[in-house]
Amino acid sequence: MEIPYIVTPRKDTGLFNSKIAIWLFLASEVMLFGGFFSAYVFLRLGADFPWPERTLPVLPGLINTFVLIGSSVTVVFAWASLKMGKWRHFQIYMGITIACAALFMVLKAIEYNVKFHHQAVRLTDYTVVEGHLGYEKENGEYVLNHHGSEVEENQIRIESGGLTFSTVRYHKPWVEEILSQAAHRNAEIKLAADVTARTSEGGNQDTLIAKAGEPLSLELLATIQKAHLKARAHNGALRTASLREEWKKTKAENPGKRGWQLASDVNIDVKALEEAGKLLTEISTVSFTVTPPVRLDFRPRDVREGETQSRLRDDTVIDGKLLPSPMGFHYVDAIDFRHLAMKAVNKGLDPIAAVENSWLIQNHTFAREAWEWNKAQVAKLEADLLKDHGVNEETGKPNREPTAKERYRIDWKDFVAMSDGVNRGEGKIALKEEFMGPDYKGREAKETFPMHFDLPREQVRFASKFTPAWNTYYALYFTITGLHGLHVIGGALVLAYYLFFGRKMFNSNPEWLANRVEVGGLFWHFVDLVWIFVFPIFYLM
Amino acid sequence: MANTAEEIQKSIRTYLIVGAALFVGTILTVAVATVPALDIGHHGFDMWDAILGLAIAATKATLVAAVFMHLNHEKKAVYWIFGSGIIFVIVLFGLTAFAKNDPIHDPLFYGRMSTTPAPLATPTLR
Amino acid sequence: MSAHATHHDEHHHAPGFIRKYVFSTDHKMIGIQYGITAMLFLAFGFYLMMVMRWSIAFPHQPLPEWMSWCFSDGWKARWLQDGKVTGETYNMFGAMHGTIMVFLGIVPLGFGAFGNYVTPLQIGAPDMAFPRLNMASYWVYLAGGLVMCASFFMESGAAKSGWTNYSPLAGFADGQIVNQWLAGQTQWLIGLVLLITSSLLGSVNFITTIINLRARGLTWMRMPFLVWAMLVTAFLLLLAFPPLEAAGIMQLMDRVAHSSFFMPSGLFTKTEGLADLSGGGSPLLFQHLFWFLGHPEVYVLLLPAFACVAEIIPVNTRKPLWGYKSMVYSVLLLGFLSFIVWAHHMYMTGMGAAVSTFFQTTTVLISIPSVVIITAMLISLWGGSIRFTPPMLWACAFIPMFGIGGLTGLPLAFNLADLHLHDTYYVIGHFHYVVAPGILFGLFGGVLHWYPKITGRYMSSWLNHLHFWPSLICMNIIFFPMLLQGMAGFHRRWYNGGDAYLDKATAATGDGGNVFANTVAQHIDMNILMSMGAWTLALAQIPFIINLFISWKTGRKVESDNPWNATTLEWATPTPPGHGNFTFEPAVYRGPYEYSRPDSEQDFIPQWEKPRQSSPAETKPSVH
Repeated sequence: MEIPYIVTPRKDTGLFNSKIAIWLFLASEVMLFGGFFSAYVFLRLGADFPWPERTLPVLPGLINTFVLIGSSVTVVFAWASLKMGKWRHFQIYMGITIACAALFMVLKAIEYNVKFHHQAVRLTDYTVVEGHLGYEKENGEYVLNHHGSEVEENQIRIESGGLTFSTVRYHKPWVEEILSQAAHRNAEIKLAADVTARTSEGGNQDTLIAKAGEPLSLELLATIQKAHLKARAHNGALRTASLREEWKKTKAENPGKRGWQLASDVNIDVKALEEAGKLLTEISTVSFTVTPPVRLDFRPRDVREGETQSRLRDDTVIDGKLLPSPMGFHYVDAIDFRHLAMKAVNKGLDPIAAVENSWLIQNHTFAREAWEWNKAQVAKLEADLLKDHGVNEETGKPNREPTAKERYRIDWKDFVAMSDGVNRGEGKIALKEEFMGPDYKGREAKETFPMHFDLPREQVRFASKFTPAWNTYYALYFTITGLHGLHVIGGALVLAYYLFFGRKMFNSNPEWLANRVEVGGLFWHFVDLVWIFVFPIFYLM
Repeated sequence: MANTAEEIQKSIRTYLIVGAALFVGTILTVAVATVPALDIGHHGFDMWDAILGLAIAATKATLVAAVFMHLNHEKKAVYWIFGSGIIFVIVLFGLTAFAKNDPIHDPLFYGRMSTTPAPLATPTLR
Repeated sequence: MSAHATHHDEHHHAPGFIRKYVFSTDHKMIGIQYGITAMLFLAFGFYLMMVMRWSIAFPHQPLPEWMSWCFSDGWKARWLQDGKVTGETYNMFGAMHGTIMVFLGIVPLGFGAFGNYVTPLQIGAPDMAFPRLNMASYWVYLAGGLVMCASFFMESGAAKSGWTNYSPLAGFADGQIVNQWLAGQTQWLIGLVLLITSSLLGSVNFITTIINLRARGLTWMRMPFLVWAMLVTAFLLLLAFPPLEAAGIMQLMDRVAHSSFFMPSGLFTKTEGLADLSGGGSPLLFQHLFWFLGHPEVYVLLLPAFACVAEIIPVNTRKPLWGYKSMVYSVLLLGFLSFIVWAHHMYMTGMGAAVSTFFQTTTVLISIPSVVIITAMLISLWGGSIRFTPPMLWACAFIPMFGIGGLTGLPLAFNLADLHLHDTYYVIGHFHYVVAPGILFGLFGGVLHWYPKITGRYMSSWLNHLHFWPSLICMNIIFFPMLLQGMAGFHRRWYNGGDAYLDKATAATGDGGNVFANTVAQHIDMNILMSMGAWTLALAQIPFIINLFISWKTGRKVESDNPWNATTLEWATPTPPGHGNFTFEPAVYRGPYEYSRPDSEQDFIPQWEKPRQSSPAETKPSVH
């Protein structure tokens, strides 16, 4: 039996099946994106940090908007061509649509890529510094690590003399990483002491599992882990049985009493178990020595560092002195005091004075110079606004005032203006820079940006690339545009299927193909429709 | 809806006009956000910019939905389906925003207290 | 429908075993697959609860062999302490019990199984509108369920932050796992996204089918109540689930991309110190998005059970469903209102009074349509010639049990009372009364009602009595004391049932003791009674399982294609219905519940029976 109304609409509803389905799907999509947009409203209204408004370069977003609108027009033309039976026209319009989708995704990928390599850090006093990290150098040469790649100057460096692994929790890739780092620096990691354990019930002699001095390897850890897990399982079963026995006995001795009344008197007879030699040895950790002690590098997120002992997230304990582990910026392309100023105002402090007392300005000339330049610019802007818009007669305050961004943020375009010796907004910026961000190589030659800035680790409150981790704005930006991008890809794949495999259906049942393209087109317009909101919300507000 | 070849031929003009309108709308929305002379409300971004920007976006979205997605002449069932999505998304927005900004939660709900802000002190911030 | 289509059945070549039973696109086989899978998940969820009940009743005693034999010694050594259930394990079981019962058990049983099997038959459709989508929906559901449950065997264990998975607790749980993709909390989110995808596919399919594939003459007001209920359920799934999907994706980002959607500034834990996060997120946002689904989800659970009971009652009272139209309007209103009550789960989050008042009002309002429906069912019994067939037993028990569940919800709707009752066992008692003896009883009735159509045989009435009566008694033994304990202040998340407070009670201190501890001491023995009830309830399910499988081969054969003498279209099909369902082109001439009409000799007139002469109520089939 065939399912009706696939091609022809049902009379009373006037719709064919897939059209109902796509509208239902779109209603659901409205709710999905609605969930994200209401998250945006909720998080923005409730933000306890200065929202980075109008922070993205507008040009890529604008071009992408044009691309998507254009593709929306062509997809409706493609459908119209099918309806009029013009296969050739359909091919052309649909081809343009898919090309637009590809262009959109390429531009999106470029945008993402720029952000993923751009570093931000929030200092302990809430100053924010942005820029690019440098790579470690020694005697003017880049240091290469064991992978043969350059080492980004954002590592926790520990002069490690000993390592203690958790036998159940050690993370294999990290062990491998430690091994190759040590090998790269000509150090050996060896078992600190003999690992002996009772491995079978009743035996009085402990078995030697591994000898002191055996080098660290995944196989060794696996062997010890196996012995540990076996002992743990064995002992667990034994202790459980013993506890059960005890309960049985106690209950028989105290009829009528509730379990909770007896609980404190019921204990496992561990001594008896041990005397009978039934318990096996559990080896929950295993220690190694590093000879000679060498510097090992760890990513800041993976390690809780301490002066003499640090711990990795997989419970590996590293004994050794913490070496200076600064974040090394190659370029600084923005300094932002908005968060600091906001915190100051919340505490009832004068924000300007707070900025001037900040660690960065107190310790670094480039920051002080930039701040002075900025203060002059703000004063000029204030005067201009006062001249143009006057004062509110009731309150006596100026009608228009500089924004927090203008007051407290000095970004790369300001550095350009500073170095060009002109006012804010008048620096010379190439079109490519509007799109991709600053041309660092060229700027380096012109000495536009502050360079080689080492930030001591203890000044770092939170550091991240411009990824979802940096703040909720970027989290929303990446999640919503990422999901939208997935929709673009999905829609383009479906439309491409009609373009490349539709010919047969066009010959046999053109009406059905037109229906399908209409449905695919509806989805495509919806994707456009979402972008129409995404663009102003993320790029212009 | 336009189903015959002639009708579609006619509506192609409409599609082109709407496409052009969308381009213009996009340029407009960028202009009001970036050109200082067109800035409404206070200097810099504020509520009025948000309202204007969203109004332009909503107009563009309406054009896409009405013309490209043929919602200007659709069957009743489609209105019911899509309408329910729109209604409940408004419910989601409205009620979460309401919960975020509950008037009775606001200490000023019963009238503005006359407190003068504390004088600004000189600072160290850690 | 094209007239010739009906004659082409024999031209289909018979599908092979895999196509017929595994990757089937037939809505009936998919319905059965959903049903069996859901029942397996229900059994698993039930088992988790039995372990939890042991921990509550006997927190100091090792889990007995009869419950722990299925685990390996290694697993037990990891998750049990000397055989005792630890707090962490209890949390894990609790979170997964809730998740499994709600998302993997009852929704797939009610909506997936009954919706799939019965809806197309009742509207006279050859299949769902998109059979392959239907198949995809089932397999995505299964994948989601397996992903969630597989995490039990990982180093991190399964999710352990409650079925509501509130951040920031859920954000921190399993944070020590280096590869977050292999952490139970992450797997839970992935499973959830898969389940939402599955229900999206399902609901799109259902609504399209109901709108477009109704038989000739089946106008909206001639649709059986079940179809209406499924339509509303599908809309709830379609529109309420996506915000949770958004929340799930955001929480996933919090886990794997270290974003701070739901993590506020300045989070500090004893083990980790100051969290290495940007902060600035909102835990409340997660609760809003979760409960935007969470509350409609209650009705997603409930409506299929309502639907089954509403089909069983008219057949077994030989009397039209009383107030069919008001039931239909009520179910629509119920669907709408269920979207605007969600924050009554959040009274304790410090929302303002205006918002609380709004949600309190809508919550009280939503009881009106529910009561209309339940009252209509009750009145439908009045004056009927009731046949206590096996399904009818369950339907009759459903009404009072759901009544208790519903009415105990009212105090929770008022935020004043909720301040006291929030997160106590009272809440647990309330919603379990709704879900277990309420919804599940309705669904058991449904199984017995349509079993003859599915297999051609009746289920054993004797085994059913052995299932029904102990179940009814045990359910009340388990859940009624919860209401009492809850009012006394027992918190719902005590893994040791309140045992930790006893050393402050009079018995321990010798003096007056602590007031709260004394209250706990007074009520703590109920824990044992309830747990005994729970384990007995498990025994009581055995006759059902036997019945379900034995009757397939040995049950009494049905006498006709319409063994209950029912009126709705599914009984017009052959038994069991073949591929394409109907052997004739179905057309509908009257409403769904035409029983005991005085102008007819038979006490029922099926919807598909051609009228002998036209009367106002029996018009010709016409296109609506």
